[in-house]
Amino acid sequence: MNFLSDYIYYIGSFGLILIALFIIITRHNLIKKIIGLSILATGVNLLLITVGFIKEGTAPIFSNPNLDPQSMVDPVPQALVLTAIVISVAVLAMALSLAIRLYQHYKTLDMRKIKEQKW
Amino acid sequence: MVNPVLLIAIPLGLAFSIPLFGFISKKIAKFIPIVGMLFNLIVSITLISKVLREPIIVKLGGFPPPFCINLVVGPIGILFSCLIALIGFLVSIYATRYIGAKDKQRDRGQEERYHMLYLLLLTGATGVVLTGDIFNLFVFYEILCISSYALVAYLGDKPGVESASKYLVQGSVGSSFVLIGIAFLYGQFGTLNMADIAQNIDSPTSVQLILPLILMVTGFGVEATVFPLNAWLPDAHSSAPSTISAILSGIAIEIGIYAIARVVFTLFGAQDFFLFLLLLGLLTLLVGELSAFSQNNIKRMLAYSSAGQMGLILFALGVGTIEGIAGGLFQLITHVLSKALLFLAAGYMIYRTGSMEINSLQGIGRKMPLSCLAFTIGAFSLIGLPPFIGFPSKLMIVLSALLKQNVLYTVFIVIVLIGTVIEGAYFFKVIQALYFKGLPAQESSDAQIQEAPLAALIPMVILMALIIVIGVYPKIMTNILNSAASEFLDRVAYIKLVLK
Repeated sequence: MNFLSDYIYYIGSFGLILIALFIIITRHNLIKKIIGLSILATGVNLLLITVGFIKEGTAPIFSNPNLDPQSMVDPVPQALVLTAIVISVAVLAMALSLAIRLYQHYKTLDMRKIKEQKW
Repeated sequence: MVNPVLLIAIPLGLAFSIPLFGFISKKIAKFIPIVGMLFNLIVSITLISKVLREPIIVKLGGFPPPFCINLVVGPIGILFSCLIALIGFLVSIYATRYIGAKDKQRDRGQEERYHMLYLLLLTGATGVVLTGDIFNLFVFYEILCISSYALVAYLGDKPGVESASKYLVQGSVGSSFVLIGIAFLYGQFGTLNMADIAQNIDSPTSVQLILPLILMVTGFGVEATVFPLNAWLPDAHSSAPSTISAILSGIAIEIGIYAIARVVFTLFGAQDFFLFLLLLGLLTLLVGELSAFSQNNIKRMLAYSSAGQMGLILFALGVGTIEGIAGGLFQLITHVLSKALLFLAAGYMIYRTGSMEINSLQGIGRKMPLSCLAFTIGAFSLIGLPPFIGFPSKLMIVLSALLKQNVLYTVFIVIVLIGTVIEGAYFFKVIQALYFKGLPAQESSDAQIQEAPLAALIPMVILMALIIVIGVYPKIMTNILNSAASEFLDRVAYIKLVLK
C-alpha cells in the first residue's frame, strides 16, 4: 500500500496519458480525437504538477520564517503548467474550429470517410 | 550592439500589431512582414562576425543562468536566424502579389490573418533556435506549430482543412511527448536550463535518461518528418498555398531537425544514439525519394522530396564527426534555399495553369521562361549538380562518411547516392515536361499563361543568385559551418559558455 500512496499521482497521470493515446489512436470521430487531445494535455499537466509536489507542503514564501524550506512546494512546475494550459487551450480552439469547417465541407466527422488526400 | 532579444521581440510585436495597422489602411498588412524580416536579416548579418568571435549570452530578467531564461546566440543560432530571416523576407515579397490575388470577394480580414500567422511562425522559429532554455524552446516550438496548423487551413477549402486537422492531431501528440520529456528532466535535475541539464548528464545510460531522450526525439520528429512520423507532410505541404508550402518546407521542418540535434548532441551527448539517427535518416531518405518518384502532383512530389532531404540531413548529423555535422548543416542551407525556390517557382506555374498535375505543365517553359529556369536551378541544386550549392554540400557529406574509413559507412553512402539518383530521375522528369513536351498548337488556346509578376520574380532571382554564388565559392560558408558544427559537438564548451 505504501507504494500506491507514494506514487498514486504518477500512476494517475500516466493512466490519463495512456487513456488519451488509446482514444486518439482507436476512435475515428474527430471530436473524440480532440477529447483525447484534451485528456492528454490534462495528463501531462498533472505529471508536471506531480514532479514538484510535496505531501502536506506549504507555499514557497521565503519571507515567512515559520515555514520550513524543505516542505515548500516547487513553484516552477506550476508556472510551467499555466503556460502549458494556455498552449493546450490554443490547440483545442484551433482543432474545434477546424472540426466545424470540416463538418461544413463533408457533413461527417468520421475520419475514415474523409480521405480525399491520399498517399 | 543590437540586443539579440529584438530578433524575437520585433517580429512578435509586429505580428500582433497587424490588426491595428488594419485600422489605418487595409493595404499596409502585407508590407509588415517584409519590414520585420528585413530588420531581422540586417541584425543577424551584423551580428555574425561578433558571434563567431564570441557567442552572446543574453540573460533575461537580470538573473545569472541557470536561474533565468537565457538566449544563446552561438554560431548555430545566428546561422539559423539568418536563414529564417532571409527566406521569410523573400517569401513575404513574393506574397505581396500572390496572397489575396485569387478571389477578391473573400472576407477582408483574411489577408491580415495570413500575414499575422506568417510572422508568428517565423518568430517561433527564431525563438527556438536562439533560446537556451528547454521549456522556452517548447513554447516557441508550439507557437511555430500552432501557426503552421492555421496556415495550412488558410484557404478554408476541403483539402486544406482536412490535412490541417490531420496535421494538428499528429503535431499536438508530438508536442505532448516533448512536454512529458521535459517533465522527466525537470523531475530529475530540478532545472530547465539546457546547459545546466547537460552538465548533469554524461551520456544517457540509465532508463530515466533514455526515456526522455526517446520521448523528445519522437516529439520533435513529427515536425522534422522522420520517416514513420511524416504522414502529415505531403497533405499539409500540397494543400497549402505555395508561399506557405515554401515556408513550411524551408523553415518549419528544419526547426524540427535543429531541435532533435540540440537534444541529442547538446542536452544528452548521446554518442551511442548517432548510429540510430543515421539509420533513421537513411530510411527517411529512401522512403521519401521513392514516394516522390511515384507522384503526379508537383507539390506532393516536392513535399516528399523534402522528407527525403531531411533524411539526408539526419544521416549527415548521425555520422557524428565535425565534417559530417558541418556537411549536414550545409545540406540544410541547400535545402532551405533550393526548396523555397522550387515552391515559389511552382507557385505561379500552378496558378497560371490552374492544375498541380505534372502533365498539365507541359511546354510551359516557353511561356514562363524565368519561373521555369528558377525551377530547373532549384532542382539541379537539390540533386547536387555543380556549379550549384547542392554540389559542395553533398560532396561534404560523402567525404565525411568516407573519412570514417569503415565499410559500413561506405555501404551507407552508396545507399545515399542511390537515393540521389532517384531524386535526379523525378526532377528530370518534370524538367523534361516543362521544356521538351507539349504541342505548339496549344499556344493559341492558353494565351493567358504568362510570366509571373515582378514581385514574384525578384525573390526567385535573389535565391538563384545565392544558390550559384555559394555553389561556386563554398569557402565563404566554411568558417560559420565549422564553428556551428563544433558548437553541436563540443558540449563542454557550451556548458562553460553559459554557466561561467
